Amino acid sequence: MTRGLATRLGAIAVVAGLVVLLGATMTDYHRGLGAHVAIYFIAILGLNILIGYTGQISIGHGAFMAIGGYTTALMSNYHHTNLIATLPLAAAISFVCGIAVGIPALRLSGVYLALATFALAVSVPQLPLKWSKWTGGSNGIRTHTTPTNTWIYTVSWICAGLAFVAAWLLLRGRAGRAFRSIRDSELAAASSGVSLPIYKTLAFGVSAAFAGVAGALFVLVTNGYAQPNEFGVTLSLEILIGAAVAGLGSLYGTIAGALFVGLVPQISTSVPLIGTGHGQDVVFGFIVILIMLALPNGVAGLLGRLDSRFKSAIKSHSAAS
Amino acid sequence: MALKRRIPAVVVGVMAVAAIAVTAASGAVRNDPGVSATTVKIGGTFPLTGVASLYKTIPAAESAYFAYVNDHGGVNGRKIDFTVLDDGYDPSKTVPLDQQLVTSTKVFAVVGSLGTAPGLATWDYLNKNKVPQVLLSTGDSYWGFCATKVCSGSKHPYTSGWQPDYPGEGKLYGKYIAANMPNAKVGVLYQNDAFGKNYLAGLRVGLGAHKSQIVDAESYDATATSVTQQILALKAKGADTFVSFALPTQTITALVTATKVGWAPQAEFIGNVSSNRIFLLAAAANGANIDNAISTTYVASSSSQTSLPGVKLAGSIIDNYAPSLKTSFDQGDANVMYGFGVAWTFVNALQRAGKTPTRAGLMAALHSLNTSKDPFVYPGIVLKTSATDNFPIEQLQLVKWSGGKTGDWVASGKLSSGIR
Repeated sequence: MTRGLATRLGAIAVVAGLVVLLGATMTDYHRGLGAHVAIYFIAILGLNILIGYTGQISIGHGAFMAIGGYTTALMSNYHHTNLIATLPLAAAISFVCGIAVGIPALRLSGVYLALATFALAVSVPQLPLKWSKWTGGSNGIRTHTTPTNTWIYTVSWICAGLAFVAAWLLLRGRAGRAFRSIRDSELAAASSGVSLPIYKTLAFGVSAAFAGVAGALFVLVTNGYAQPNEFGVTLSLEILIGAAVAGLGSLYGTIAGALFVGLVPQISTSVPLIGTGHGQDVVFGFIVILIMLALPNGVAGLLGRLDSRFKSAIKSHSAAS
Repeated sequence: MALKRRIPAVVVGVMAVAAIAVTAASGAVRNDPGVSATTVKIGGTFPLTGVASLYKTIPAAESAYFAYVNDHGGVNGRKIDFTVLDDGYDPSKTVPLDQQLVTSTKVFAVVGSLGTAPGLATWDYLNKNKVPQVLLSTGDSYWGFCATKVCSGSKHPYTSGWQPDYPGEGKLYGKYIAANMPNAKVGVLYQNDAFGKNYLAGLRVGLGAHKSQIVDAESYDATATSVTQQILALKAKGADTFVSFALPTQTITALVTATKVGWAPQAEFIGNVSSNRIFLLAAAANGANIDNAISTTYVASSSSQTSLPGVKLAGSIIDNYAPSLKTSFDQGDANVMYGFGVAWTFVNALQRAGKTPTRAGLMAALHSLNTSKDPFVYPGIVLKTSATDNFPIEQLQLVKWSGGKTGDWVASGKLSSGIR
């Protein structure tokens, strides 16, 4: 085992230990917030596969969260499906939708792709209003049972763990190499035999599946209540900001991005003076700008820099001795 | 042996005495959450930002009224500490904010929270925790009783609304048309969801045998900003009376569009969620002819009823505690008077919820309202509830617009009672 791998496994173990420890000791309200962090973690992880690893931008991932969320709400409401069983279903349906979006997206890139996915973020949450007979329209629809915060905390973090392992396995292998080669140069990737259509749509599908699971859990943490306003454009932007804070193209900053978008808006409500109305937005925006200035590559970039400094320190130390 | 047996008995005895003492001691001082010797903590969620932020004058007025009450001795010696949180009209934000209010701020009750969807997202949670979710700022019928799928099988004894419900208001317009305009051809614009459909159902009930007077009903989706097609369709079907069960933006657009396409109905009924004077003025400023507008109200008008004691009181409270509301108040923003009316009702219920208020006491007080003293509601309105009737306001005053671009609502006929 290399030293790098050992450090990483150690870090993962520490985070996992913290999650378990906090879950056991926190108040019920904080477990709810903790579940939000896990949900953002999954969504950011998915978006990172698409943007950070494959170089395809999406500012419409809230749409896939809506698809996953409504899958869970509808299955539970109409068929009383076990809530856990709705999660893989949400992933599968979102995966298919992701592929369906990925195919036309093959012809788009850069800012055009951004605009197309933005349209998705705007339009998909309106669909429940169109078919309000089944979906409850603007009055929403709820699951047949409401999970407790302890339940949702546990399930969300287990899903986050599974998602992390799945992303890691996917990215370290053949598919991951193909994704990265597309990101770095589509021309070079294609001439090395990487099929652009297959891997680009695959990245969209996988990324959407992650978002779908996150959306399903998002509905569950909202007392099992799905309503179009929950999946507005701001949700898509929050995930994008989370991914930028985390650092694109690395999995290890994800937790920082999730903590940021999951907790900052909530915590700033209890800050005096700025804690109401536009104050929260100002705090949030200010911190985003600050992070982008100080850490242009996100928290993952910071970790990378620290790591290389640590390595050079060891090198010079061993050279000296 | 004998000694060994006696020791546990002694220990058990001491523990029992200690336990009784502890229980008795804590029982003597334990209040419901949020209630201390000097304060009662309450909270609410409102759209201070985003699409529905036009309503943010409601919590501002409520805060002003509570500040005024606090400066005049509070309620039974306790000051009301009102936490206002911004959920941006997004239920997924309302849920953690309400959890924050309950478990972290430790409020006694959630008061006045705005919006049907945010209310539905949180009422299971609040009721499960026996936290009063009262005087909600929404006119859906859920808060008075459960009639639809969303709340099937569950009871929500800790939830209450305040304003008249939408079907009752729709019914009133139906009755008016049947009685006064038996030959009118009615064209309806309604929002394609429970809000619009409940209104429409009420209109049909009110029309009764005259149901066939509705020549066309056109729906729009909540997020649509253009209703031109619908207005053209109503005109083409030959409707000469317009009924609008729409949100403010669409109502304003509809009125402006009707004038632009040359459709001049003899009467324009406007659901009262959109009949705030400032919305009508906005429509008129954009070219709409609003002279035939008809609506209803249940709060005093701060623009046309300035001599009422309640309006004077509201004016002086705004001068002292919330000067930023002055402009809206002077223009007749009904939401300001609405906030005052809700806050007054809460204070009234809190006074009757016990010397040291309890949550159960608050709900009992809200289920036994019977007062005509709320100075901020329309004169003559009685706030009345019972164990089986959870709708505090069931009276509406029909109002007609007068005075064109700078006009105002003028009462028409007597106050209608028992609208549900």
